Amino acid sequence: MTSDTAAPVLSVEGYSLDYLTAKGPFHALKNISLSIGAGEIVGLVGESGSGKSSLAWSIMRYLPGNAHEVSGTIRFDGSDLMARSNSEIEAIRGKRISMVFQDPATSLNPTLSLGRQISEVLIRHQGLSKKQAWAEAEARLAHVGLKTPAQMMHRYPHEASGGEKQRVVIATAFACNPELIIFDEPTTALDVITSRQILELFQSLQQETGVASLYISHDLALVASTAHRVSVINRGEIVEQGKVGEIFTRPQDPYTKKLIAAVPDPSVRLAGSEPDYAAKPLAEVENVSVIYGRKPFFGRFSKKAGNHVTGNRAVNLAIQPGEILGIVGESGSGKSTLAKAMTGLNKFEGEIRFEGRPIHSIADMSDSYRRDVQIIFQHPDASLNPRKTIGDILSRPYRLYTEYSGKAMRDEISRLLEQVKLPASYAARYPHQLSGGEKQRVAIARAFASQPKLVICDEITSALDVSVQASVIELLMELREEFGTAYLFITHDLNLVRQIAHRIAVMYRGDLIEIAPTRDITAPQRAAYTRQLLEAVPVPVARSAP
Amino acid sequence: MTDFIKRLMRSPQGAIGTIIVLLVLVAVAFGPYLAPHDPEAMSILARFKGPSADFLLGTDQYGRDIFSRLMIGARSTVIMAVVATLIGTVVGALVGVTSAFLGGRADEVIMRTVDAVMSIPSLLFALIIVNLLGSSDINALLAVSIAFAPGMARISRAVALSARKQDFVSAAIARGEKPNFIVLSEMLPNTVAPIIVEMTIRVSFAIMLFATLSFLGLGAQPPSEEWGLMVSEARRYMHISSWILVWPSLAIALVAIGFNLLGDGLRDVLNPKT
Repeated sequence: MTSDTAAPVLSVEGYSLDYLTAKGPFHALKNISLSIGAGEIVGLVGESGSGKSSLAWSIMRYLPGNAHEVSGTIRFDGSDLMARSNSEIEAIRGKRISMVFQDPATSLNPTLSLGRQISEVLIRHQGLSKKQAWAEAEARLAHVGLKTPAQMMHRYPHEASGGEKQRVVIATAFACNPELIIFDEPTTALDVITSRQILELFQSLQQETGVASLYISHDLALVASTAHRVSVINRGEIVEQGKVGEIFTRPQDPYTKKLIAAVPDPSVRLAGSEPDYAAKPLAEVENVSVIYGRKPFFGRFSKKAGNHVTGNRAVNLAIQPGEILGIVGESGSGKSTLAKAMTGLNKFEGEIRFEGRPIHSIADMSDSYRRDVQIIFQHPDASLNPRKTIGDILSRPYRLYTEYSGKAMRDEISRLLEQVKLPASYAARYPHQLSGGEKQRVAIARAFASQPKLVICDEITSALDVSVQASVIELLMELREEFGTAYLFITHDLNLVRQIAHRIAVMYRGDLIEIAPTRDITAPQRAAYTRQLLEAVPVPVARSAP
Repeated sequence: MTDFIKRLMRSPQGAIGTIIVLLVLVAVAFGPYLAPHDPEAMSILARFKGPSADFLLGTDQYGRDIFSRLMIGARSTVIMAVVATLIGTVVGALVGVTSAFLGGRADEVIMRTVDAVMSIPSLLFALIIVNLLGSSDINALLAVSIAFAPGMARISRAVALSARKQDFVSAAIARGEKPNFIVLSEMLPNTVAPIIVEMTIRVSFAIMLFATLSFLGLGAQPPSEEWGLMVSEARRYMHISSWILVWPSLAIALVAIGFNLLGDGLRDVLNPKT
């Protein structure tokens, strides 16, 4: 497929981009050189803020007003894109270069039918009549594996699932047979199984059309299984580029090495000592159901049931003291609902027993239960009050559960900060002055202030970059060694959970499918859904290398 | 703080608004010392005079110096408006944030009551209250505050609802915090920015409302220097000298514009995303 001899479809040379901000210019891209040949897939891997999306927008010639292109050229099919006028670019965009975005929910217009959106591209760029375009669009939708294209044409975005929407976006991107397609994290917003299917679709379409592709992602495993060549970008600079196999097996640059080492690999266990399964369980969840929505006011007079949504259906599980129980499942599977029920954020039916004491409702949750069961949320930005200092935030658990006050409490807070490997001086800072990883450490510190017996981690690493994720996980493991805390670790990252959990619970649409010890999770007698989930996960980098 | 002021002065609205409001505050604080004449000294010979070196803005129907009257009237007019807005805001914000926190039926009951009160136009509402309590400064102030509270309650509820969904509120609930702590310490600080902006805009409404009440004879009583009253009294002499009508009207407009611009400026500054 790769044609090294022919002129590249896209070549970026010595390109630098600054954003002019109130605090002076911010160097978003520094001396970027990158080329994509016909039929080639080039992966661009980097963490958040590395400038990978800026590069995509530079190629699309759609930069914000404060962008300043310092140097370099962007050549597309031999001609300089930067010298083109706006109207010339408009003719190229969507026709010869197209783009697939991260979130299909926001990249489609919610007020237009899917058919309208895809046929519009054909009318605009192929000069088809309305009728022809509609027929052509329907054929395109069939081509991207949508089962009922004729009906799909009349649907609106909210009537289609995330995977279906992303298929429509991909169909739109391929509609005019472009020479170059930029994929900006196309599967990040999708579920594991759906993203696997989208990836397969992308690969077959790419092979069929031979379109040159720039595949942007933060997920090394994904890029390793997709791209021919990879460029690793860090803080606006490409630190390493080359063939996929070479980069992932013999990385040269220290940053690339660190990135590859940070990718979770299920064969490397981090879990630590096994819990005592003969002991009395720390927490038991028995027949817990959560139902959202309330009966309509007049509903009680009629027989009609309100439109309830079941968050959890009779979930049963038990956690041993010091155990790490992983809960995996796709979005909407009820993982977080269970976490919320256990921390008194959701009403529930059924029984939770903590150290033998039964709890039937939120009102039964005593102060000692609140102290012993803590929760850490996914987004540290949202879980720390932006108007309070870190010291204030961390003082709350002490005030609520302990006798500490004044100087003694400040000393405790300093000690706590050091325990999560943050300088004690951070107590005076505000959350927005910290990085994402640091904020999550503060959230962890807040949960551990009361020395809890069970900490519920609700997707706590999903919003973090891989390298930061690795250090946060390391911290959690250290804290467990020290305090013997049990974790309920909720995640959608199967590779990660296989590294750290002792047992894994699989959830699907509110039901608990099964709980299995981690070492048996790949066994053939597992439930069909579990196996499906495992197959969909991209294999870690080291093993995918040829 | 210096950074805050620097950012406020960067936008033209913020800069102009701040300057106007500062000028008004100078008049409020030092008005009586700056006034060149006794505001109540009448002079039969100097009635309906246009602006001159002696009477900067001319004189009114009793020969009183309009400039001096405006300088001294600033105190009652502006302070009344600011205090009334403050009271209305505090009451409204507490009701709104509490309602958002409680949610469900309680929220429904509180907000529908607020809606019912809001359905009466604020001027009419103020008129009713003043009529019931009798016309005086304090009653007018009370009337305007009560008239403002429902609107503020609505706005603060809307902002608080989005704060309510944030994880830091969930974290506080999961920790077992008391409801009053969550409302006052977690939610209220995060709803303050839009409320302050709304408040500055409402100060100008309050001035207008007070002026209207005085104009109708239900607020301040003669010979008070309240600006609205001055406009009201000047109306009868408009055909003799338009200056007595123009100057207090301009003063009201200037204060209203000043606070409005300041509100616009604050909106940009208090938004952490800009």
